[in-house]
Amino acid sequence: MRRNFRTKFYLLNLFLWSAGCLSAPIHGQDSASAAKALPVSRAMVKPAPDSGASAAPVGTFNPAGNEIPVAALLDTLLKNPETRTQTIKALIPRADHNLQDFFQNLFKGNLYEYSPPAAKANPDAAQPKILVIAGPETDRDGENWVQLFKTYPMQALLDENGAPIYAKTADLTELETDREVRAMVQPLLLAFDLDNPDAKKRQSAALSLGESGDTLQLPLITAALEKEKDGKCKRLMQEASARIRLHSALPENRAAAAKALGDLHSGSALAELKILASTSGAGMESDEGARKEITRAVQTIEAYASYTSIVQNIFTGLSLGSILILMALGLAIIFGLMGVINMAHGEFMMIGAYATFIVQNLFHKYLPAPYFGYFLAVSLPIAFLTSGGIGVLVETTIIKRLYGRPLETLLATWGLSLLFVQSARSLFGDLTAVSSPELLSKGWEIFPQVVLPYNRIFIIFLTITIVSLVSLIFYRTPLGTLIRAVTQNRAMSRCLGIGTRKVDALTFGLGTGIAGIAGCALTQVGNVDPGMGQNYIVDSFMVVVTGGVGKLAGTVLSGIGIGTMNKFLEPFLQSVYAKVVLLAMVILFLQNKPSGLFPAKGRNEDL
Amino acid sequence: MNLILQVEEVSVSFDGFKALDIKYFELEERELRVVIGPNGAGKTTFMDVLCGKTKPQTGSAIMADKDLIKLNEKQIVDLGVGRKFQTPSVFGSLTVWDNLLLASKSNRGIWSTLFHKPTEAMRDAIDRVAATVGLTRHLSSVAAILSHGQKQWLEIGMLILQDPKLLLIDEPAAGMTDEETEKTGELLLELAKRHSIIVIEHDMEFVRQLARKVTVLCEGRILTEGSMEKIQNDPEVIERYLGRSKRRDENGQPVAAVTAVGTKHG
Amino acid sequence: MKIFEALWQREKTALAFAFAAILLIPLANAMGWVSDLNLNLLGRYFCFALAALGIDLVWGYAGILTLCQALFFCLGGYCIGMHMLLKTGTNGVYGSALPDFMVWNQVKTLPWFWEPFHHFPIALFLALCVPVVFAMTFGYFAFRSRINGVYFSIITQALALAMWLIFLRNETMLGGTNGLTDFKTLLGFQLAHPAVKRTLFVITAVVLTSAYFGCRLLIASKLGKVLIAIRDSEQRLRFTGFPVARFKLFAFTLSALLAAVGGILYVPQTGIITPGRMDVKNSLEMVVWVALGGRGTLSGPILGAVGVSLCYSFLTGRFPGSWLYFLGALFVAVVLFMPQGLAGALQQLPFRKRANNRSSTDIGPAALAASMAGTSDIHDPSGDAQGTGADPLTTRNTTAGVTP
Repeated sequence: MRRNFRTKFYLLNLFLWSAGCLSAPIHGQDSASAAKALPVSRAMVKPAPDSGASAAPVGTFNPAGNEIPVAALLDTLLKNPETRTQTIKALIPRADHNLQDFFQNLFKGNLYEYSPPAAKANPDAAQPKILVIAGPETDRDGENWVQLFKTYPMQALLDENGAPIYAKTADLTELETDREVRAMVQPLLLAFDLDNPDAKKRQSAALSLGESGDTLQLPLITAALEKEKDGKCKRLMQEASARIRLHSALPENRAAAAKALGDLHSGSALAELKILASTSGAGMESDEGARKEITRAVQTIEAYASYTSIVQNIFTGLSLGSILILMALGLAIIFGLMGVINMAHGEFMMIGAYATFIVQNLFHKYLPAPYFGYFLAVSLPIAFLTSGGIGVLVETTIIKRLYGRPLETLLATWGLSLLFVQSARSLFGDLTAVSSPELLSKGWEIFPQVVLPYNRIFIIFLTITIVSLVSLIFYRTPLGTLIRAVTQNRAMSRCLGIGTRKVDALTFGLGTGIAGIAGCALTQVGNVDPGMGQNYIVDSFMVVVTGGVGKLAGTVLSGIGIGTMNKFLEPFLQSVYAKVVLLAMVILFLQNKPSGLFPAKGRNEDL
Repeated sequence: MNLILQVEEVSVSFDGFKALDIKYFELEERELRVVIGPNGAGKTTFMDVLCGKTKPQTGSAIMADKDLIKLNEKQIVDLGVGRKFQTPSVFGSLTVWDNLLLASKSNRGIWSTLFHKPTEAMRDAIDRVAATVGLTRHLSSVAAILSHGQKQWLEIGMLILQDPKLLLIDEPAAGMTDEETEKTGELLLELAKRHSIIVIEHDMEFVRQLARKVTVLCEGRILTEGSMEKIQNDPEVIERYLGRSKRRDENGQPVAAVTAVGTKHG
Repeated sequence: MKIFEALWQREKTALAFAFAAILLIPLANAMGWVSDLNLNLLGRYFCFALAALGIDLVWGYAGILTLCQALFFCLGGYCIGMHMLLKTGTNGVYGSALPDFMVWNQVKTLPWFWEPFHHFPIALFLALCVPVVFAMTFGYFAFRSRINGVYFSIITQALALAMWLIFLRNETMLGGTNGLTDFKTLLGFQLAHPAVKRTLFVITAVVLTSAYFGCRLLIASKLGKVLIAIRDSEQRLRFTGFPVARFKLFAFTLSALLAAVGGILYVPQTGIITPGRMDVKNSLEMVVWVALGGRGTLSGPILGAVGVSLCYSFLTGRFPGSWLYFLGALFVAVVLFMPQGLAGALQQLPFRKRANNRSSTDIGPAALAASMAGTSDIHDPSGDAQGTGADPLTTRNTTAGVTP
């Protein structure tokens, strides 16, 4: 702890020094007056009296430093208006929380000079002016009054009787600060967030500080790092610290900072490092050794980034594949088992999405806010029932007349899809968004910079659940046996007394209902619009075709395959060409396996 | 006698289930062979292998010094193998005459088909075959409206016009009346004078009518071969069939007689 | 030639229509009785009819449902559009020798694949060749691996989608979403001139007529029977010794060629070609023309294409927004209530019964319709339904005796 203080103090000196030297035109005069104003200024100048402004060694310990009390510094603010800027700079690195209010009010312009009325005991002796923070304004008899507070720490200013003091704003003189000061203070206000109990605040503070590259904030970050327990915050602070140190005057510090960034796989610093690593241009690193280190850091970070992007792609691919599986699962039931090509399948998905949308709106309208998070749980079954119900309706009115004529079903259902799309357009307009419940809007950071959004994880699990449920229904329940019997031999089943009409309708309803669930899931990763189904229909048919008709395992496998393949190709080829390449691959694949991954084996029935 | 077909070590399995496993099978020229066997014995699969519809995992089927297994369907047809399927497959929306025309031997390339003009000889042949299969009155009818039996005959007629060396005929008598079945038998016997034929059949009466050499397939393997008498008295054959019958009996189902074994869809 | 006599005998109605299209309508236009606009519209519909005729060959007869006909239509159209755009030359909006869209996209030199399109004969050759070669390549792979029935349809649809996406891109140098437009001349003739428009109409009508009769002859030939046989029982045909894949490829390619010709004639008459013409929806719409008009009738698809397109013009003019409802309902209604299309329905009318008893070389629409119900069957085990859906043409004779 002791050592930390010293370091801090040393850094304070450094900053005072460098700030003094850098503060523009009246530099000489300025530092002279600063020396006058601050008793310690000689000591501050001492460490590097002849080495020029930027050559102060960072990181070496200065045993000679000692601390000026904050109160004293604050005093000088009033006493020496000319050195105000320097003084504030001197205050900045103090990681003192009692100063937080001071800085905040300084930034807002709420600091005032206040001349207290003469004390009763000694009415003639003029009281020294003091620096105060003004509270919120209140209107009293047509004049603005404010409560006054002490600056350090912020406490109500009390008169002799212990009553809070109020003053007319008109009687106060604002402590004037220039833009430069405010610009300096702004990151500091962020830096105070480094101690915020809320980890989110700490993270965003660290990020912004790193972004600012403001060397003045370094001690605060260092101090915060000491105390930090949370792993993610710690990492971000280290990153911020290193990014700031990239601006250090010493090449070896810059090199060390670059190495640290490399070790941290800091993606946010990549752009900056790249500029530094470039061999030409304004932002290039001048020192050879440092540049080498920076280049190495860039390579490390890029390698890591490509690795994480692979993980991300696999994951996004998996979730895309999951939606495809959900789509294709319904299709596999309808097409694979019933021999019906349902071109309106995408529209059943759209119906599910709109059902979700309506449920969400109803929740908004009729239920108190805390329940809103549950709308997704409610809309899943509703989406299933809506799409499934309409599916049953379609089956009993249209599809039942078309069994055994797949191409006709293709045309009829395409017509249906046009009707559905147009109806949705008239009912809902063109674009509607469904929000995610709060629970799903976050992500799971499996390791640094790799965040798996919960909504995608949700989709994957949803898919796993639905696929398992469907296989259970198909292979473990009497209903499943009935469905398989009817779809394999309708006439024979009828002879055995099975209500084939009912089973057909149920099967079709099941398929479209699953599409509805896919639609509900899709609202979590995309917009809802009338044409959304058509984007997926070709893809999902490819999944069915590739997987082999009537095989759930094939559908699942090819769904995952096509989903991930698509995501993998996209970075290299853009999505359009990825799609084209994928099509070519599917055709080539079918060259070798014309009946898909898992062809129905056995002696082919004679036609 | 010259061998027209020599099959060795042919095996086909579906999902690990061995549907066909034939060690050795041979057919002489102008021989009429009947293949019988219970349901699922691999009879149709055997024909599928010979005509190229199913590719076996191993084995060879040599005909005219060529291995049928390595050829595609068209090459096999060109080599002189004709196939009649179990369910009649004819071109339903073409007339009977057109069906027969397509089957007639001629160049089957695209351009020669486009500019094809049937010769007198070809027309005569078609008329002759139509008369043979009893479809003269239906030459201008669309094949789809023929009765089941007539479709069977039309398909056989098409086979005749195709003039293959080896005919593979899968259950020609299925769905026929007794009278029609007998006529079919006569037709096959007549054909056997010029062609080699393999027939799959269930109807023992019909088999007896053809009464040449019989091959019994069971669970994908050749159980035994020989004359009708030999087969009927073969203890293993009886065991297979009666064994099945006994099991069925326990399930309360009627015992099938050896004279009409299996089902129509084996 | 007997076959031509037969044609004359049977195609009187078609010949009358052709006569009207080639002579009467242009004449009426020249007299001012038919507006230029309507003539132009009808000309475009004839182009659609060409594409529909192609679909009928490959789907109506050979039973292969292709869902990328609009793609071939557009490939032809784009080729001729590229030629015309180059001929526009410096008369474009920007006065550059490059097409306008390239100027927007800051392209400095003409992409290499545009070069051949400077010359009309080469452009025309490519307009026919590109779609044909494309269809042949795609078809070769598809048919070789026996991608059948529904699978083929889905793959063609995916192909249409993929190509549509590619044509939408700017970097393919084909005008992106806006496509190719601002054509001025073809072979030196001003496209805007009424006489040129009339000539284009006559050419379209002549091409359509010859395509129609060409297809008639083709269907009457043995090859036509092979195509029908593919639809009825591909397996039987294969074991009869026909190279089925090659015949399918032939039909598919011929159909693509017809579509390309349609596209070539369409673009000069419309003055614009965009990727929107080739999206998945358009190909399906073409299929519904054929389905509505009547599959396997050759005349039906032409009627369907012209009829549905007329409805489109009428509805989008009078009731905007109703078109998709109409089209959707049409799809459903045709499939449910008119499986044989308009032409089939006409053939079924009682007073036309007489026409059904024809010689063996004839494939009347009704005859085809007879088996239509069960032909595309891949799944239904009770495929015996063949023929039961249609009117029995001849008395069904189940007790025919055998005369060995």
